[in-house]
Amino acid sequence: MSLVVDRVSKRFGSVVALDDASFSVEAGAIFGLLGANGAGKTTCMRIVLDILRPDSGSVTWNGQSNTALPRRTWGYLPEERGLYPKMRVEEQLRFLASLYGVSDADARREITDWLERFRIPDYRNRKVEELSKGNQQKIQFIAAILHDPDILIMDEPFSGLDPLNVRLLKEAFLAMRERGKTLIFSTHQMETVEELCEAIAIIDRGRVVLHGLVRDVKRAMGRRVVRLATDGDGAFLAELEKLDALRGLTVGARRADFVELQLPADLDPETILRAALERGQRITRFEIAEPSLEEIFVEHVGRRAIDEDEGHLAASVSVGGTK
Amino acid sequence: MPNAGHVARREYLVRVRSRTFRITTLLLAVAVLVFTLLPTLLRGAGVTGDPPQIALDVQADDLASDPVAAIRDALAAGGGAAGPLVTRTEDPSEAADAVRDGSLDGLLTISRGADGDLAFEYLSSQGPASVERLLVTQAATSLAVSDRLADAGIDSAQSAVLFRPPAFVSTSADPDAPDDDRYGEALVVAYFLVILTFMAIITYGNWVAQSVAEEKSNRVMELLITAATPQQLLTGKVLGTGAAGLTQYAAIIAAVAVGMIANGPVSNLLGLRGEAAFRLPSLELWMLPAFAVFFTLGFVLYSTLYAASGSMVSRIEDVQQAAGPLIFVSIAGYFVSFTALNDPDAGWVALLSLVPFFSPYLMPMRMLLTSVSAPEILVALGILVVTLVAAIWLASRIYSAGVLMYGQRVGVRTLLRAARVSR
Repeated sequence: MSLVVDRVSKRFGSVVALDDASFSVEAGAIFGLLGANGAGKTTCMRIVLDILRPDSGSVTWNGQSNTALPRRTWGYLPEERGLYPKMRVEEQLRFLASLYGVSDADARREITDWLERFRIPDYRNRKVEELSKGNQQKIQFIAAILHDPDILIMDEPFSGLDPLNVRLLKEAFLAMRERGKTLIFSTHQMETVEELCEAIAIIDRGRVVLHGLVRDVKRAMGRRVVRLATDGDGAFLAELEKLDALRGLTVGARRADFVELQLPADLDPETILRAALERGQRITRFEIAEPSLEEIFVEHVGRRAIDEDEGHLAASVSVGGTK
Repeated sequence: MPNAGHVARREYLVRVRSRTFRITTLLLAVAVLVFTLLPTLLRGAGVTGDPPQIALDVQADDLASDPVAAIRDALAAGGGAAGPLVTRTEDPSEAADAVRDGSLDGLLTISRGADGDLAFEYLSSQGPASVERLLVTQAATSLAVSDRLADAGIDSAQSAVLFRPPAFVSTSADPDAPDDDRYGEALVVAYFLVILTFMAIITYGNWVAQSVAEEKSNRVMELLITAATPQQLLTGKVLGTGAAGLTQYAAIIAAVAVGMIANGPVSNLLGLRGEAAFRLPSLELWMLPAFAVFFTLGFVLYSTLYAASGSMVSRIEDVQQAAGPLIFVSIAGYFVSFTALNDPDAGWVALLSLVPFFSPYLMPMRMLLTSVSAPEILVALGILVVTLVAAIWLASRIYSAGVLMYGQRVGVRTLLRAARVSR
């Protein structure tokens, strides 16, 4: 039981949107599709949904080609949110559900259920244009799942939501997984990926540069991270980097209250602790961790993607701590 | 295809419920009602139907026939509400002033020239193209001719015989052609059909394009295209909009009917002499469904292509530009039909009435005004249907490729390339 994207390529004129992209998603998993803007995520999703046809390659779900699957297999939350602004919420949702062959009674019941879940039952008869952006987005999510699809594909589902709504949406994700649904979404918020996803794929300029279970991906990095905080000014960190005993150590992201040190696999983290104590530092935090997805992302996609994408990423990932 | 039904239903309801639709429909119905009643109302108000008043200044007193009677008869023969008032005047300058201030319609001066022939001068308050001027000219001509005849020794009784029209009966060799006395009415209905078809294509076709572009610009399209196939969306859109358009037409036609029925009572109420009511031409019953078929297929053909052109733009403002070629073709069809109305038997009309984008205009018109053989109608219909199928195929290709393309107006070449691989 899985979704398999097999050697899919797609060009638009001279632009290569997807280049021999392959990955697979286990049924029932929550899967993160990562990549800078313009990397090919949306094209990839549209091809999986069969609203675009690839130039070559194939997409299968449980061995069956996506071109042969019924439309209601899929739920889709596009990146560009769009609803009929002048239509009322319930009428609109019932119309969209009817396109998937959902009976009117079922649609009404599900609408009631989801509006309550999202704490907006009063908006049932409001026009969509009267709703806030965040609430429109919730309606859009409901539109994507009313027909109870097996696979839910969401393009940037969290962008533009306040923390409370992010929480509600995450709960909805988990509820969908409880029902045995497969969820695929793209995001720039690495914390969210770490929190929700079992597996990821990173797309860079149309190519899948990394994919697999989050756990395996982290291990495969072959290094670890030490999060260190002292009550001093941290000037000793520069000395640490120069020590022979700590060869290969790099001082990474400097966060508000700690510093991330990256060390090669053969370096014992305790050496750092000892070196710091020798320099008379008072340690307030010492934590051995696996590299964060953010670092993995940066390593594979490069700073280029992040610099190009400052506005988008800065909000969700405090890159490099250089501010 | 239940999805096409859902889409059509939504399209229809949204359209019909909208304030714009209600207001325009109401305004159109009221306007049409007023226009239907206008002639009667104007006559009631005494705006038209004033009998023409013409003064004669007869300087030649040796005329063979009575000029007053001749002018009066000529004007009366031209129709008009009441008998014309033709009088002799003894004071031409006062009469000329009356013509200038509009209280008199004309002053005709009849004198004898140096060559012994009659000479006429006409001072008129009406425009050069007025019927009254034409009639006065004709009367003057016959006055002059009978004067010359009298000169030649033929008296007025003999000349009356000379001018009497002969017995003349004309019959069309074509048994299906409308009778001469009903041709005018058939012509009116043909005009009406052409205008009806044209308005439907231009207005409601444009609605379809607008609505597609709107779905694209508010991005709901991406949801729709995931849920339904382009063909379903296209079909639903065209049918729903078409139904909304027909609803508006029904309101307008109802207003016309009310106006025509009300004409009798209203003119009685205003104390006007009843006039011959408009009669429908002698239609054969099978023609009505034939008109409906040509109208529907024509509308669907055009609006399918309108939908495709709407899918090529990202903003509603660009729709007109994208639909330009279509608008051009529909206007061409309209003008061609108007030219054809003057000579519906011409060979080029018969030929064009088989051409798909023109046949919805021309074939019903030909059926009304001349006789068209059944095979000819079927051939036109067959070509139309084949074209329609091809148009739907092409349009849904363009549509499915176009709806996901944003940014600049999509070029035809990009579109065709994209259409090749779309589902």
